Amino acid sequence: MLQNNHPESGLIFSTKRRIDILKLLVFIALAVITLRLFFIQILEHDHWIAKADQEHTLLETITARRGEIYMMDKNEPVAAVLNQTTYQIVIDPTVTAKEDIQHVLETFAKDYTVANLDEVYSTEGLRYSIVAKGVPRNVIEEIVKEEPRAIWFKKTNQRVYPEGSLGSSMLGFINSDGEGQYGIERSLDGVLSGKDGLLKTTADVNSVALSIGNDNIKIPAENGKDIVLSIDRGLEMGAEEIATKHIEKTAATNAAVLIMDPSNSEVLAMSSLPNYDPNHYSEVTDASAYLNQVTEVPYEPASVCKSFAFSAAINEGVMNANTTYFNQGYEVVDGWEIKNAEQRASLYGTLDMRTALYWSLNTGSIYALKLLGGNTAAINQKGREKLFDYYYNKFRLGQATGIELNEAEGFIPDPNDGWGRDSVYANMTFGQNLGITMIQTATAYSAIVNGGTYRTPTIVKGELKNGTIVPLDTTSTSDIAGKPSDTMEGTAAPEPVENKTEEKILSDETSTTMREMFVNNRDYKRKGGIDRAGYEIGGKSGTAQVIKNGAYDDTMNETIGTYIGFVGTKGELPKYVIMVKMWGDGQHLDGPIASNLFDDISNYVIDYYKVKPKV
Amino acid sequence: MKNRKHKSDLAILFATLGLMALGLIVIYAIGPMRANVLNSTYGTEYDSNYFFFGQLRAVILSLIAFFAAFKWIPYRYVKKYAKALLIVALALCGLLWILSMMHSNLAKCELGECRWFQFGPVSFQPAEFLKLAMVVYLADFMARKREEGNLGKLREFWLPLAIVSGLSLFLVVIAEGDLGTGVALISIIFGMLLIAGVPARQYLVMLALVLAVAVGAVVTSSHRMERVDAWLATMSGSETSDSTYHIENAILAIGTGGLFGVGIGNSVQATGYLPESINDSIFAILGETFGFIGLFIIILIFAVILFRILKVAQSTQASDEQLFITGVFSWMLAQVIVNIMAMTGLVPVTGITLPLLSYGGTSMVFLAYALGLVLQLSCYTSREVITNEDISSGGRLGRAYHSSRRRSS
Repeated sequence: MLQNNHPESGLIFSTKRRIDILKLLVFIALAVITLRLFFIQILEHDHWIAKADQEHTLLETITARRGEIYMMDKNEPVAAVLNQTTYQIVIDPTVTAKEDIQHVLETFAKDYTVANLDEVYSTEGLRYSIVAKGVPRNVIEEIVKEEPRAIWFKKTNQRVYPEGSLGSSMLGFINSDGEGQYGIERSLDGVLSGKDGLLKTTADVNSVALSIGNDNIKIPAENGKDIVLSIDRGLEMGAEEIATKHIEKTAATNAAVLIMDPSNSEVLAMSSLPNYDPNHYSEVTDASAYLNQVTEVPYEPASVCKSFAFSAAINEGVMNANTTYFNQGYEVVDGWEIKNAEQRASLYGTLDMRTALYWSLNTGSIYALKLLGGNTAAINQKGREKLFDYYYNKFRLGQATGIELNEAEGFIPDPNDGWGRDSVYANMTFGQNLGITMIQTATAYSAIVNGGTYRTPTIVKGELKNGTIVPLDTTSTSDIAGKPSDTMEGTAAPEPVENKTEEKILSDETSTTMREMFVNNRDYKRKGGIDRAGYEIGGKSGTAQVIKNGAYDDTMNETIGTYIGFVGTKGELPKYVIMVKMWGDGQHLDGPIASNLFDDISNYVIDYYKVKPKV
Repeated sequence: MKNRKHKSDLAILFATLGLMALGLIVIYAIGPMRANVLNSTYGTEYDSNYFFFGQLRAVILSLIAFFAAFKWIPYRYVKKYAKALLIVALALCGLLWILSMMHSNLAKCELGECRWFQFGPVSFQPAEFLKLAMVVYLADFMARKREEGNLGKLREFWLPLAIVSGLSLFLVVIAEGDLGTGVALISIIFGMLLIAGVPARQYLVMLALVLAVAVGAVVTSSHRMERVDAWLATMSGSETSDSTYHIENAILAIGTGGLFGVGIGNSVQATGYLPESINDSIFAILGETFGFIGLFIIILIFAVILFRILKVAQSTQASDEQLFITGVFSWMLAQVIVNIMAMTGLVPVTGITLPLLSYGGTSMVFLAYALGLVLQLSCYTSREVITNEDISSGGRLGRAYHSSRRRSS
């Protein structure tokens, strides 16, 4: 059996045996493979399933469309806050050619580029990079025409404020995380943002959802509601324009304007100036510019509050416009001498309350407080408690009104608790020693002039649904800031949260008397031709000292000027309540300066709404 | 002396047809995913059924080649042109190399390697032709040398063999960068050498020599070394990198298949996670789709084909025919084993198709042709297996038919 030709060769097998070697080889190889498969597919199966889930599962939130915000243009809703679809450009550095994306960015999307390509391409293991943001659709369409390879576009929503800075502190803005900040955007965030949906699905390598898999979940997004504000765009614009002019021509650096309808407490204009542009909110250097001065900043409206003290005394039947008292120019309470601002000699002596309000005499409002206590000689507990009852319980000062905005509460001092209550309450009659917001003041003032009914202020007209305004379902507005959460968890079917109050707090007669006195206050304006004939325009000014270092600054170097009043047709109930506030750091601004702003706005309102005069 | 014609090996016939059908079904299911991945990643515009029709075309051509080889073209005619076939194959490979260096449009390149001729919509991979040509040529060559008693002689045997093999391997591995075909060629050569009956010591020395050269070729090439590193990294379960990505995702696909698989059309790994999902990685997709049971059956089918080919070889009397059959066996074995072992992380990825299942026309057509010839030869086996045959007796006992035919040609 040795091979003849190669006698030196070793073992020799027959061909059959050698083929058997091959058979053995096949058997061993396939057996090893089968064992290996058993190991991977049976023993390690769970491990690989878990790993596959991790790699294949796409968890994506379906972003709810944020509700848009509308203002009124007289009777038609007009958009004030819109959504614009923009795109992000996304690349996978391991697939996308650097030259391609560089070309695309430089040619089309230079202004939107947010990434440094050199950095992106030098980052190891990076498979996803957003290289441009906020790219408008038309630019994307241009890029698509070039048929770029391995470049993706991701849709995003951007908030757009077409009116620019109009009503900015009232509207607020959306931050880069898509959260509402300040204004309506913040306070109605829950209603506007809707509810994001969820997509859990198996996805391909490019994160495109597949129909493969059994536990795919799709919860559709609940879009946010479109909200119509009661704000009138034209009125807001006009008021802001006029106030801006007044800032320019006075020492004021800031002004706030509030216009509301006293018959239903609907806010028609609300502005804190100077404005900022919510499209570029990040350019604001002083964050206080974001504040809504009307609802978020309590202050002392000063003599404007005499309206409340007078109303209280008149409504209690202890005083009327002709009630007289002796004005000696000052009053000593708790050992403090409280002086009138107006000290002209002709006012010394016996005066009626109409005159006291006209000249804004502090002694007059202190006298009203005395009358409330039933003792003309001194302020007493009964008087303090009465005044507190009116200020806090009836006029709801020092507490959030319930308007659909972020609110500060402010404070009304307790009538009995604490030292020097008499002097504190004497001060309160002319608007000091308390903290109230403009919206509180104007809402209470509306009650005084509208016949005596207090109504919760509102800035929301309703929800825009299919082109018509329907009442906004506030059940989902649980996160409205500043709104007392009085709905208990676990109570039966939640009633439509109707926090609106409507309460008759003053008699018709009180209201009539007060209106008559407010109109009288503007006697000189009428005579000066500022208030036009045929209209009923009344008001009250206030000059507030500023608390510096914990005490009133008696030098009166810095004061805040306030004016509140109403406009209407002669002989009818007032149609509009207007409140303005002007201030500036270290600047002296008083009621008369503020009243000039009121004059211009009230005349603008008459023209804008074509309020008919009565001849 | 030739055995009378009888029925062919039905097992090989049906196993081959079965695998082709299975490949077609799977490509039908995952082809659209592949098209989608390519379209969205590279901006191509493949129709969702592009790959299915491509595979259908390949299967039809393969069936024609298969039955042509099986029924119409006798092996002896093929053998007659053994040398010419090899020269043409080598020339085509050389031409492709030259064209690719000239950056000609006729040479189609993918990922930097130029392995295809491209004529409009038709592409052709000459390395696949070379495999067939080598099997045909070496069967004739070795049988002849054995007959002449020159087997194992340096000048008469090893030198010409080394020249032919070296040239083939150079054109395939170095010029085309096709390591997979290189592995198949080496398997073919050594499989046939074993059956030809070269002295065992020489055989082992040559095997050691080739392995040494192979190791040298790997360590001196950074991209081949990367594959080995990646393989070792996957084996040791160390950190993921781009290089380990392919193997990891192949094993992930197989692993998720479990016992029964996720079912046809439900493969997730085919949606872009697994590279080359329709070609080299189809085994992993089959594992995901059909599970352990499915793969076991597929492996069984391959085993049937491989064992039956060996059975045909054992019962074939003519030395050159026996060598040819063994060559086809080695070819198929190399592709099946190396492909599957790479997909299961047992050996580094070399880039080799899974016979009859992977997408790709040329490789299937030539292998089908080779299998057709084996089937043809299976019709002429002797009933009783030749036993106790001695290498040295080859050509002297019971070899009259071949000897005479050789002389007459």
